[in-house]
Amino acid sequence: MYLYNFLFENRNALKLLYTIIICIICFLIVAKTHKLFKLSFHQGIRYFRNSFLFYGLAFLTRYLLVSLYDVEKFNISALDYSYVVKFIFDFFLIMAGFFLLYSLLWRRFEGEEGSRSSLFNSKIFIFYILSAIIAMLDIIWTTSYFMFLSQVIVFSFAAGICFEKYEESKKEGKASKFLNLYLMVIVLNFLLWMTNFVVSTSFDFVIASGFDWRRAGVIISYGLQIIIFSLFLYSILKSTKKA
Amino acid sequence: MTKKRERLDVIRDVLQAVRESRGIKPTRLLYASNLSPQMFKEYVDELVSKGFLAMKIDEKEKKTIVLTKKGNEFLEEYKVIENFIDNFGL
Repeated sequence: MYLYNFLFENRNALKLLYTIIICIICFLIVAKTHKLFKLSFHQGIRYFRNSFLFYGLAFLTRYLLVSLYDVEKFNISALDYSYVVKFIFDFFLIMAGFFLLYSLLWRRFEGEEGSRSSLFNSKIFIFYILSAIIAMLDIIWTTSYFMFLSQVIVFSFAAGICFEKYEESKKEGKASKFLNLYLMVIVLNFLLWMTNFVVSTSFDFVIASGFDWRRAGVIISYGLQIIIFSLFLYSILKSTKKA
Repeated sequence: MTKKRERLDVIRDVLQAVRESRGIKPTRLLYASNLSPQMFKEYVDELVSKGFLAMKIDEKEKKTIVLTKKGNEFLEEYKVIENFIDNFGL
């Protein structure tokens, strides 16, 4: 309970620390994978890089937009402004999930040469539209169900594909411990979004029990997110280390 | 049945052949790369345009393909790239 109170009392400083950690991790991953992409022009690496670019953008823009808001200078109410921030954050986060899933699937939809642009092409345009629709649905219903649900679906597919690839490479006798770790990170991501989804739908339970499970759930999900991003970074740094 | 070579493997083979001979004539590289003439042209054109290979023409108008710094860097990093693709199922 002491830890819980401590975290809650220092939430603003912790939010800043959390944003900084996630953004630094995303920046390192984008820099590392961009270098590999520039050498290989491999489409999978390109979409994987884009995923972390969008994760970074999501957390950075949310923090900046919230910090910059000034009720006297901005000609928009705090409530409307929060909807704009939420839309942008949800949009970038959903796009990041789509890019991560597509990095595992791209071979089924395009040739090895890929598209001229990985951010603006007809397939990715579908993701933009879907992300905008999902983010808009959350604004209309003033909830986060749709975003959480989309991520649960995206990561359940990603976990399935990763597991299939892991089994295939095991059969070929070349399964690396990093593919195993990546599968674990994807499953953890799935659990994170599942937690978020459950927490966001447990409002009645919060009222009934007296203890704010939602707040505790948010703290757990922040902690989980830092663990997941650190694991992503760890596996990327380890697997790009020269022998 | 032998598995079809991936694009990245073909690039490695082409660059490797150029590195080993420290500059090579296009016809010799075509044989060494084990590609059809059409595919070979596509790959070499792409590798030249992306700066992995350079085409040198001497005073007798004879062409020699040489490896650039970027091409050499690709060969140095090839194992890392291959591992990365396998490790993340890309």
